Formats: sequence, structure tokens, C-alpha cells
Amino acid sequence: MTKHDEARRAFLLGAAVGAGAVAGATLVPDALAQTHDARTTGTGIGPAHSPAGGPGLGAFFNTEDAATVAAFTERLMPGAPGKPGARDADVLNYIDLALAGAYADLQYFYRRGLASLDAYCRKTHKEPFRDLSAAQQDEVIAALEQAKASEFSWPSAAAFSNTVRTHTMEGMFADPIYGGNKDFAGWRLVGFPGGQMEFTAADMQSSGPFTRLPIVGLQAKAG
Amino acid sequence: MATEKTDVVIVGVGAAGGILAAELGKAGMKVIGLERGPRLTTQDFDPHDELRYFQRQDLRPNIKRQPITWRPNANAAATAIPVQNYGNQAGGGTVHYGAVSWRLHEDDFRARSHTIARYGASAIPEHSSLADWPLSYADLEPYYERAEYELGVSGKAGNLQGQKIDGGNVFEAPRRRDYPLPPLRLDQGAILFEAATRKLGYHPFSTPRAILSEPYHDRLACTYCGFCQAFGCHVGAKSSILVTKLPEADASGNFKLITGAMCHRVNSDNSGRVTGVGYYGPDGSDNTIEAELVILTTFIYDNTRLLLLSKTDKFANGLANSSGQVGKHLMAHMMPNVYAVFDDRHVNNYMGPSAQKHTIDDFNADNFDHGGTGFIRGSQISVGTGNLQGGPIGHTTTAPPPGTPRWGAAYRDYLAKSFTRQVAMVAQTENLPYGDQVIDLDPDVKDAWGLPAPRLTYDWRRPNELARVEFMMKKMEEIGRTMGAAQVWRAPLGPGAPGAHHEGGTRMGSDPKTSVVNRYGQSWDVPNLFVIGSSTFSSMSGFNPTLTIQAFAYMSADAIVNRYRKAPGSLL
Repeated sequence: MTKHDEARRAFLLGAAVGAGAVAGATLVPDALAQTHDARTTGTGIGPAHSPAGGPGLGAFFNTEDAATVAAFTERLMPGAPGKPGARDADVLNYIDLALAGAYADLQYFYRRGLASLDAYCRKTHKEPFRDLSAAQQDEVIAALEQAKASEFSWPSAAAFSNTVRTHTMEGMFADPIYGGNKDFAGWRLVGFPGGQMEFTAADMQSSGPFTRLPIVGLQAKAG
Repeated sequence: MATEKTDVVIVGVGAAGGILAAELGKAGMKVIGLERGPRLTTQDFDPHDELRYFQRQDLRPNIKRQPITWRPNANAAATAIPVQNYGNQAGGGTVHYGAVSWRLHEDDFRARSHTIARYGASAIPEHSSLADWPLSYADLEPYYERAEYELGVSGKAGNLQGQKIDGGNVFEAPRRRDYPLPPLRLDQGAILFEAATRKLGYHPFSTPRAILSEPYHDRLACTYCGFCQAFGCHVGAKSSILVTKLPEADASGNFKLITGAMCHRVNSDNSGRVTGVGYYGPDGSDNTIEAELVILTTFIYDNTRLLLLSKTDKFANGLANSSGQVGKHLMAHMMPNVYAVFDDRHVNNYMGPSAQKHTIDDFNADNFDHGGTGFIRGSQISVGTGNLQGGPIGHTTTAPPPGTPRWGAAYRDYLAKSFTRQVAMVAQTENLPYGDQVIDLDPDVKDAWGLPAPRLTYDWRRPNELARVEFMMKKMEEIGRTMGAAQVWRAPLGPGAPGAHHEGGTRMGSDPKTSVVNRYGQSWDVPNLFVIGSSTFSSMSGFNPTLTIQAFAYMSADAIVNRYRKAPGSLL
């Protein structure tokens, strides 16, 4: 890992911790329990995010927006013991990199959506989204989804929450080269063996779980 | 700006264009093929990357550069459709398609007269423009066989020269020869579907697919990796034009492919003939090809748009449009889905080719008595993957069962359990043509080349079509319960936008007054202009169109090589 990578990870982890994300999730899906690896059980505790201009900047989000997105995505895909969630999979990193690259045309969509979200939360709960309790955050997301949240114009509350949901699922389940699905957290959650080059007749005859290792990613494999 | 001369220019080198390029080239005609996208190779498809190919649609047209707009009716505003289901590279849609390869039924070719004979004229909805095709199944049968054998299709005959064979599609039209390759291997979803539909008295079979079940013509067999529909094949087992006809075209020595070429106009002169085409190169240059014969084999949008854009004083209504029929009779399959999830067994749905794995044809075409159903024509019903994609991102794009939220801990737990235990059933319904379902030029939206975007006006939610979807939903729910699923539920139906397999726009027919082209795809108005593809289909059937497109391409190639070349002029 390069120094830049380390600093970047610290930034993203700091954002996740700052958002009050759950810690200590382990990754033990039913089919792949034996692949469980100590490196995937990290607590996610890293240094607090750095001031702007210093080391640890993200590719797109500032520290407050990063904390908001980390909190939002963790509520969409919450982690629990044995069940990795958005923070475990580094979904924030996926979205941050995507907005700096393939989804650059959505930068303004996110800026406006996050500003509207903050305005709505300050109006209804007197705090920004990232500082609310998990239960309050769920309430807010439900209001967005049902288009009941004020303070949104463009993007609409529903469009914003739907887009974050889509990107959360991409960050959970896309190949790790895109910055999420860390250590195949998402694939382990659902029992997907990744980009296998072949399934045999015996594999397809089985009505049980597929357990042959390794899990295959574009640049990494995991036993 | 460059000008080149050739015998034939083919615009769009996909399912049809690739076949014509190879066949005309082999016959000694000099052919230039224009392709908007790149030419990829099998090694380009090594990455098994669901985000890139399924979610971000890397092998489809870019919807911002190449927008297609849709509105439900002529009074509504048109907006860009979010997913375009056709190809954007040499090989066209055959690169990323699910490779499902059907012959149409005999009665599909005479859907109008057959309906009237069996149910009376009043059975046809008042505003439907349902029409018979200008040829019969028997006319096309030799070309279906040629496509199956030259390209490589796996399946089992269900009607061999009139003899019905259990395990094949007993509703299929008679074929002279069995498939060249045995059926693809069944996966768990197919095994469950096979047992359940037999129990219900239906006639299941392995879906015929242009995917090699065994090595064939120096190509490798399918590895069942599951990265299939939406992906290019990493071993070349999918019988795409890239690995079948383009190498033949190259070997002829008479074919030149120009990639990155956006055709924007078909040129014509005052004699009433076309003289070639104009195209924009990747550097923005405006280039000309002069040709004796122009063949349009793009997807239906550009086949239509090019004719409308190429109007002149002589062809004031658009090229080949004296009938006024260019752009009319747009059709699309609706794809209602029913999901079934199991408690106590895995189905591992990410294994094997992902589209329409196992099928019943009992409720397609007029294979059953429609009396009292409130609709005509039917639907093929298959088991496969939700949204035709077996990976986990695809799974998150499907609707969870009623009572399960779309996010949060309960959704996470649903995903964790269902991903390996859920199948999807899909009905592919034969929606009728209607005269007010049209493609024209959007007055407001332009593409990256400054050309007006094709605009679709279409709404499938008509009484005949709604009744058909409801009927098929009930059948799929019945099958899901019989499979022993713990939970069976319907995916929500979308708005009225066209679904898969858009067809129509340059309809073929027997009468120059009511159709754009003849059975060979030859323009009635301009005999040295051909339009070939699903844009010419008179009706759509409940089947995927590609093998029929390819059979027509072979038939037209034969007619051009053996008859037109000797006596250029109308083939009829």
C-alpha cells in the first residue's frame, strides 16, 4: 500500500467512524465460512480525518460529505456480526472514486442532494444527517424514499435516495478494483464465488452451496 | 474528407450485416462495412466484470451520446430511455446477447389471417395493424437451417419433418434437420422448471441457443461461467458475428470494415437510385462512399432514421417512403417477471448462460385455444435470472418479495439468503403492432453528431396486451408454486415504455402501398437499396428475433448474389 493509499484509507475510515458506523463486523457467510480471514475483522478504527489540504483527502468528497455518505450507505446496508455492511465493504471509497471518474457527471447531483439532505435534517432534527442516531437516519431515508422530505428540489428526494441505493449496491458487489467490495465482503455476504471461468457438470448438478475456492476477482483471489 | 468506390456498402455490421458481408464478399462482390463502434476480439472479454458490462452497459450504445427518446403518446413529452438493448460494435447485439435462437412458428407468419380464420375478424383489436408476412415459414426454413449450422446453435428438435419428439419443442414448426449441437447443460433452475411444468402437463425443453454445447468449427464449447447476456464470451463459445461471419468476410479478400463510422445519410440521384452513403469518421470528418448497392442493417432506430434523414426533392417524404409507412408499426416484447425463492435448497443461478434457460411454448403463438381469454397471440415462458443477469448486482436490481424492504438489515438478510436460492421466470409476450406506435425524429433532442434522436411513441398498456400479461403472470405463479418455492411473487410492471427486442419501422409486405420493403428487404421504391433486420418484421411473435433476422440475411444474400447481380432491379 502506498503512502497515499494509507492516507486515503485513513480519511475514509475516519469518515466512517465519525459517522458512528458499527464496528467489528465479521464476514462469515454460510457457504464460505471457512474462508473467513482475520484481516476482514478489523474494527475500522482509524485516525480522525485530516483538515482540508493535508494528507487523507478523498478523490471527491470533503470530510463532512464523506461522513454523511458513509452513514447513509451503512443504513442502507448495515453491517452486523457475520454480515458485512457498507462500511466493511468500503462502499464510501467506491462512490468517492466513481464520482471522481466514471460518474463525474453526477458530482453536482451529489452536492445538491447532500446539501438538501443536511437542510432537511437540520430542519426536522436540528442536526446534520451524519450526527443523527441510526433510528433517526432510517426515518429520514424512509421519508426521502417516499418523497415526503422537504428541502429537495433537484435532485428530488426519491431520485437522490434511489441513486445512493444503486451506488451502495454497486459498491457492495462490484469487483474490488472499483474500490468497494473490500476483501470480497459483499460476495462473501451472499455466497458469490466471483468471476469463475468455468462451472462443471457436477457444480451444476448440486443443489447445495458452491464452496470451491478461491473467490476470483479481476486482480485478486481469496482462499 | 475521403471518397471511396465499392460494389456494396453495408451500414451496421451486426446480426444481419455480418452475414451479408461474408456471403457477398465470398461471391466476389467488393464490400465496405461501416460500423459505429469498435471491433473487439475474444480476448477483450476476459474480464468477468458485472459492473462494467451489466450495470454500466459497456457493449451497448452510450445513452448520452446516442439518445433514444420515448413518449407514451403524441401529447406527452419525450424523455431519453435509460437502457438501449442493442449493440454498439462490430457484431452488433450478437456480441452481448443471450443468444436465444428461435425459428418462428408457421402461424407467426400469418398471424392476421390465422386469427381471423380461427376466432373471427373481431378478435383482432380495432386499432391493431396486425399483418401477415409476405412469405411462409416453408420459404424461410432452408435459411433457418443454414443459420443454425453455419453459426452453431445448440438444441433438440421437437418436430423433425412432422414427427413430434418429446424433450424438444413439440410446438415448433417442422424442421428438415435436427440442431447441429445437442442442448446446453441444465442448471438447477432448469431442473426444477422441467419437473414442475411436466407435472402441470406442459412441454418443457432446453432453450435453443447460439452457444456451443460442444466444440464446433474449431471453436471452444461453453464453460458455463455465467457471464453471458450483457457480456462478450471469453472463450468465443457464443456464436456471435465476431467469431463466425467476420472471419469469413475477412478471408474473402473482398471486405473492408471501417469502424468509428457514423452513417448520417444515404445519397440518391434524380434517377431514383441510391448512389452511396455519407458518414462521419471518428475525427469528425464527413466522408462519402459511392456504391452500386446500399444495404442498411443497423438496429431499427437507425434503419428508420437514415431513411427519414435522407429525403431529397425527389424523395420529399424520406427515402423509400412513398407508402408513408417508414417509422410505423413499432413493436416490443413485454417481459413480465415472476420470482421464486426456495428455503431448503440452492439453485446457484449465477451458473450457466443467463437468459431464458429452459422454456415452455404451450402458451405462445396460437398453440392453445384463446377462446374467452380476451387476447390473441401468446408468449414463451422461461426460467432464468432476474433482469437476465445472474450476478449479485443484477440481483439487487430485482424487486424483493412483498413485505421485504429495499434497504436496511432485513434487505441485507434477504440478499444473503436469496442470492443463491432464487430463480426468475419471464414471459416474452407477442405485443401486436398498432399504427400509432411509431418512430420519428425528435424535434428537440440531438445526438453527439448533431443528428435528431430517434423518438419512440409507444404504450403497451392496451386491453389485449394487459390481458395477455395477466394470463402469463398467473401461469408463472402456478409454475413457481409447483416448483416448491417458499415464496412466489410478481415483479412490478413498468410504465408503458417498450420492453425488449424493438421491431418494426420499415415493414415488409406484399403491397408497395402498405409496406416499405419486399420479402428480401428490397425497397419497393429504390431497387438498389435494401433494409434488413427486425425493422422489417410484419409482426413480432413471442420469440427472440435474432435467428429470424439471420435467416432473412441469408435469404437476401442468396437473392442478391444469384439474381440481383445478374439483373439489377426489382426481385419481384
